[in-house]
Amino acid sequence: MALPKEVYKALKDIVGSENISDDPALLDSYRYSLAHTAIHLGPYYDTFTPRGAAVLLPGSTGEVQAIVRLCNEHKIKFKASSTFWSAQGYPSEDDTIQLDMRRMDRILEIDERNMFAVVEPGVIGATLQAEAMKVGLNTHIAGSGCSCSVLAGATSYFGSGPSNLYGGWHYENLLGAEWVMPTGDLFRIGSLGSGCGWFCGEGPGPSMRGIARGFLGAKGAMGVFTKCAIKLFAWPGPESLPVEGTVPAYRVSLPDNFRAYTVAFPSWKAWADAAYLIWDTGIGYLAHRQFNMFGRELKYAMVKILTDPSKTLGDLEELLEDPEVQRVTEASKRDFQIVLAGMTPRDLAWQERAFDEILARTAGWKVEAMNQPDVADWSLLYLLRLGHKNLNLVFGGSYDGCFGLLGTADYGTTHVEESGQLKKEWEEQGAVVQAGGDCTMGPIGGQGGGGTCLWENFTCFDPYERESVEGTRALFDAATKLGLARGWGVGMEKWNAQCRGPDGRTTPKEERDRIHLSAPQPSVFRYQHKIRRAFNPNDLGDAYYETLDDEAD
Amino acid sequence: MNAKKARLAEIVGPDHVIDDPGIGESFTLDRTVRPAKRPSFKVRPKTVEQVREIVLWANETLTPLVPVSSGAPHLRGDTLPSVPEAVIVDLAGMKRILKIDRRNRLALLEPGVTYSQLQPELQKEGLRVIMPLLPRANKSVIASLLEREPPMSPRYQWNLLEPLRSLEIVWGNGDRFYSGSGTFRGEREEDWQQGLVPVQGPGPGQLDFYKFVSAAQGSMGIVTWASVKCEVHPEFRKLFLVPGERLADLIDFTYRLLRFRFGDELFLVNDACLAYILAQDEDKAVSLRNSLPPWTAVVGITGGQVLPREKVQARQQDIQELAQQSGLTLASALRGCHEGELQALLLNASAEPYWKLRYKGGAQEIFFLSTLDRAAGYVATMQAAAGEQQYPISDIGIYVQPVHQGVGCHCEFILPFDRGSQAESVRTEALFRDASHRLFGQKAFFSRPYGIWADMVYGADERTKMVTQKVKDIFDPNHLLNPGKLCF
Repeated sequence: MALPKEVYKALKDIVGSENISDDPALLDSYRYSLAHTAIHLGPYYDTFTPRGAAVLLPGSTGEVQAIVRLCNEHKIKFKASSTFWSAQGYPSEDDTIQLDMRRMDRILEIDERNMFAVVEPGVIGATLQAEAMKVGLNTHIAGSGCSCSVLAGATSYFGSGPSNLYGGWHYENLLGAEWVMPTGDLFRIGSLGSGCGWFCGEGPGPSMRGIARGFLGAKGAMGVFTKCAIKLFAWPGPESLPVEGTVPAYRVSLPDNFRAYTVAFPSWKAWADAAYLIWDTGIGYLAHRQFNMFGRELKYAMVKILTDPSKTLGDLEELLEDPEVQRVTEASKRDFQIVLAGMTPRDLAWQERAFDEILARTAGWKVEAMNQPDVADWSLLYLLRLGHKNLNLVFGGSYDGCFGLLGTADYGTTHVEESGQLKKEWEEQGAVVQAGGDCTMGPIGGQGGGGTCLWENFTCFDPYERESVEGTRALFDAATKLGLARGWGVGMEKWNAQCRGPDGRTTPKEERDRIHLSAPQPSVFRYQHKIRRAFNPNDLGDAYYETLDDEAD
Repeated sequence: MNAKKARLAEIVGPDHVIDDPGIGESFTLDRTVRPAKRPSFKVRPKTVEQVREIVLWANETLTPLVPVSSGAPHLRGDTLPSVPEAVIVDLAGMKRILKIDRRNRLALLEPGVTYSQLQPELQKEGLRVIMPLLPRANKSVIASLLEREPPMSPRYQWNLLEPLRSLEIVWGNGDRFYSGSGTFRGEREEDWQQGLVPVQGPGPGQLDFYKFVSAAQGSMGIVTWASVKCEVHPEFRKLFLVPGERLADLIDFTYRLLRFRFGDELFLVNDACLAYILAQDEDKAVSLRNSLPPWTAVVGITGGQVLPREKVQARQQDIQELAQQSGLTLASALRGCHEGELQALLLNASAEPYWKLRYKGGAQEIFFLSTLDRAAGYVATMQAAAGEQQYPISDIGIYVQPVHQGVGCHCEFILPFDRGSQAESVRTEALFRDASHRLFGQKAFFSRPYGIWADMVYGADERTKMVTQKVKDIFDPNHLLNPGKLCF
């Protein structure tokens, strides 16, 4: 249904005619295919998110407020997105107004001494990182990659990635924020509200940052964040990354105060012991397992391809027959990558000695083939910038994650083999792309300083082939079944299944209620319902903000 | 028997209901600034079930409750009832350490557990919890963390609530709730063995429930246990003192340490503050104040789990070089202060009497958050205000504590006064009011708004006030928890 003419005109008056459209062709370019990386639902073949009623590109907080107020006046749903990462950045109901925040793309401030930056929604990780490095600072980049909005990860979704360990995840790094609430009112969170600057997100008194986001954000369903301050951390490297090489073998050679190691262990117990010792000792700048997304049986062969521009996927089978590749593959089954960064030469020397001691205590080893300069420099750039997310798609065309065992290192390592084995069995059945079995990946340190891991098992599939898409969904159903049977709970494969259904639209209320009532603590969703009622009285978001009303029982 | 008392006695037992408990002795100006109301009873629950029953009863009878976990003296007025006929819910008796998990470095505590109770137990397991500067011996660990008191070690603060993690909360509506990953509350030993532990602070879900009870002065919910992230107890550690003539002399050096996260304990104190920490009586405080350097940066270095000695050596050399680059010197002793003596003090709770009260028997605090580069400006403002109020500038203790890995800092002014002197009380109160407003006007963020600060900050930020009140309506719909505080 088209917007009433007077509403469209009022919106046009706010943003200007060049920043609004209801052209069906353009609106269709703002739809998302659920056969692709839907995060974390489906996938669903030949299904798209609904077409919006109009797309607007606001240029200021004032314009956003005016739009939201107009939406309230006419009871029109709206959804803002900064970099549109996956289906959750798109509407789930018809006739929603879409706000594309890309025009608000300024880094407003980098406070070098106090180590934070103030950004608008359109600032991506790569841009902020490049600017921060000029003054000896770095920003955490979420697992979605450096082309995603910093603000979106910090305020509205999850924000975890390889640099959690030293840099903290975005949850921890979010400071003051400017939030156009679902009513159109402007809420300046933390010290900002008191007129004291951006440096603090908590208070005064009980921290109302708690309604902006919890473990997860509201995924665009509760108003629009227009600015936020993000904590930065030390970058002891050059003012810019000296990137070399030919696509996809980009690499970076850094000064001698950086090390990028791939290490492996004789057992998962030893792997976990090493993680705990790293956290207890306080070393490491980045740490991650299986960052290149290919499973344990393919990963080294794929590294050989990805670090050598003369090779293609056509070389894979031959590489897999190579005894050296087989030896390295076997030796690095239970591995992870770690980057050590010395703030001074002594700091690096101590970290190196401590790390060697940890390997000695856990009988771990450095995977020498991965630590050759070209490969190590490729890994280093990959982990520092997370600019290679396109590689997630090269093997099958699409991917999504299942299981997502979130907890301590002991918890994940106890179950990683069983979850990996299930996926391998499904790969062998044919529908799911054979991507090397155990693709379990995630940061070593789910939060600053470590303590937890998140074990997401990536699955590659062909989004243009119905059998592959539906086979992947069947695997995800099996993963859920196994997770429930084992007491792990529903995995990441269904994290958003209660928000959007197979038709690309909001999951029916009965199904949402059933899922929320089966949660360990349904009152979480009842309180979210009360918060939504208090701050979004016209309910102009979508079901990505998860609620359970009083009638549901 | 009074019907209320009878019902409370049914819940907690007759021995745990105290009639007319009074409002206790005041060591600060809070009672002058905001008169307290006498409570009807004090109750001492022992279990979460009893806490929940008390809260449900309060909702039936519309009786105000004031939760308290720490022992006296209370310095900020948050535990003094603002309305008549309140019931004090004294949680000090809930003092079990429910679990210490060495591998995951977690401790699960009830609200009555104090730092002086907890640290020795953690040390047996090779752990410690980062502490605020010299807490009272009877200070509740959970109350300190909930009130966002700054720890001395900013490097471990990945967020401002660290090291607090999951909580069990009885909301003001009587609902029992687990925040973070608190549903994994470790009731089964096999859960701990498998790593199903309350390690997360945020969430669960899309709200951040533990933030609603932080700095809430007990006005949102009553926390009946919390998990706390611990650090490795260092086998090897050193403490250094870096003297400076002016605060500004130490700022660059402190920023450099924060940038690299060098240093474990890291804070700045003026001569008076360090004297109050070290001295056991008034005379000693005065003589120390006169001999100590005007400003001192305190820098602790600790070894971790692996190669601790090597780490401390490397850090010491690096910090020494950074100090030299700033024209400063690392010292083990200053005239009147030896690192060993100070370290022994900092690793423990305050001896009695509480260190802020030793000089004159009473003390008024002014504290807020800001950034380190503004700290010297606040000191100048405070000293100017003190001069105008004829308060002795040399008495003002100043403590600057970097927080959240250096993004901000806690600035604290300690104004000692003689509680028996009407003139000193009046003068100190005038300075307290005047300086608070001047500092707020200078972008001091009163993030923990006790007493008169609440009107100041919420008056200037109507939106935060409205949002906070709406959240209060959800979790404490009858406004029974500590009414009259903050913006409630």
